[in-house]
Amino acid sequence: MSLEEVKEQRVLTDKDLKKTYARWYLSVEVSNSYERLQALAFCNALSESLKKIYKDDEEGYKEALMRHLQFYNSEGTFGAVIHGVVLSMEEEKAKSKDESISEEVITGFKTGLMGPIAGIGDTLIWGTLKPIILALASSLALSGLFIGGLVPFLFPLAVILIGYGMLKSGYLLGKESVVKLMKSGLINNLINSASILGLFMMGALSSTYVKISTPLKFSFENSEPIVIQDILDQILVGILPIAAVFGIYFYFKLRGQYYNRLIMWLIVISLVTGFFGILQGS
Amino acid sequence: MNILIAALCGFLYFIGTSRLGYGLTQATGSPIFYGMILGLVYGDLEKGLIIGATIQLIYIGIIFTGGNMPADQSLAGIIAIPIALQTGMDVEVAVGLAVPFGILGIFIDQLRRISNSYWISKAEKYAEVMDSKKIFHCAITYPTIVIFLLTFVPVFAITLFGADAVTTVMNFLPQGIIDGFGVAGGLLPALGFAIIIMVIGKRDIMPYFFIGFFLVAYLGVSTMGAAAFGFCVAAIILFNSMKQNGQEAG
Repeated sequence: MSLEEVKEQRVLTDKDLKKTYARWYLSVEVSNSYERLQALAFCNALSESLKKIYKDDEEGYKEALMRHLQFYNSEGTFGAVIHGVVLSMEEEKAKSKDESISEEVITGFKTGLMGPIAGIGDTLIWGTLKPIILALASSLALSGLFIGGLVPFLFPLAVILIGYGMLKSGYLLGKESVVKLMKSGLINNLINSASILGLFMMGALSSTYVKISTPLKFSFENSEPIVIQDILDQILVGILPIAAVFGIYFYFKLRGQYYNRLIMWLIVISLVTGFFGILQGS
Repeated sequence: MNILIAALCGFLYFIGTSRLGYGLTQATGSPIFYGMILGLVYGDLEKGLIIGATIQLIYIGIIFTGGNMPADQSLAGIIAIPIALQTGMDVEVAVGLAVPFGILGIFIDQLRRISNSYWISKAEKYAEVMDSKKIFHCAITYPTIVIFLLTFVPVFAITLFGADAVTTVMNFLPQGIIDGFGVAGGLLPALGFAIIIMVIGKRDIMPYFFIGFFLVAYLGVSTMGAAAFGFCVAAIILFNSMKQNGQEAG
């Protein structure tokens, strides 16, 4: 069956899908709460489409709304594939009337996939795409170029295009193909190479933008002063920035990710070392 | 400070932290974007952009894992940039002013998420009567009003009344403290990069981090240049692994 044939048998049109995506895109993080995270946004995104799917079945519509107010949290861009698949499952459930697709199957699919998809999205979108675009914007802005202030908008643009594509393909391909795709090597290969690009860029950006050095020097009579930074550079250029990045990394690994506490510590360390002329920020 | 500019700052902060549009507020709340707008307002575009980018770099690697905000780049930017532009403050001092507000912003975000628990319990009642319009309001309209109050009011007040006080304090800072903030500006970006390594850094691909790092450290490659090399390396790895998969399948 070709994609066009699939489309003809489906209840929701491209326009419905676009509306669903727009509602999701707008509200993903707006209503984010500690209790159920993105649940309200999920339900809100699907509500109009569900109304169309369950048009003669009030009880079914109500149950579907309640079902999608349950805990949900994933990455919003790649996560949109879950919305697509869930809509196709709801459609099947509404059509079949019997219990071949139970509530547990739909909820199980959502909760089963939201974790792995979040891993993909965090890697590709937030770990790779976002810092690269913002780094590009920063280096343009540092040269005083106007365009630097507008480059960050490339990020939401990419998010909209990828996210809508995910929702649409999730809806048209359905559960089986998405699960198959997840299990195939392709996604893993993609994540692996995106992580490589991401790490490579994080290395380059750390080297460019983590700017600490030491102004310490020791002077002896009748000789040139010994400049500590020169000695460090002879050992390894960038030894202090790299120590900073991995110092923080191992702090997180060993102590857990207490950002606020660590930020406070970093500021205290900066103030003390800066005050006594042990480190400088350039 | 001028009431109009204070209102503009409050509004920019609201737009930048409203979370309306997934990822959109990464652009509308970016200190670079703030720097551009406020640079135009104060007639010094270049300085606005430079301060904005310097603040942006501190927060460049930050990821909201599980929706938790580790630091608020928008509040850091919207307080420091206009004050720095108005008083002709040095970039390092502006960073010193920005950083504490970057921490303060976390609490605004926490208040927002706590208040959102109320809307989801409301939405449940509307779901029972199948009122999708009210669910929409619970998901978007009402939280946005709360966010507006939580964001516009404090920034408006601080930029309007606090600017002079802050400037006086900043002017009396001893050089040693200013140097300390210079260190913080150079050190804090390491936090974001470390967070990203936590997310994507599996042991077997960690050497790519060091290749990127030393490419810049020893050869002085620019950011764009590094991106070009990085894309090529990632493409080679992708094509090779796809070929291998194909052979295994065939």
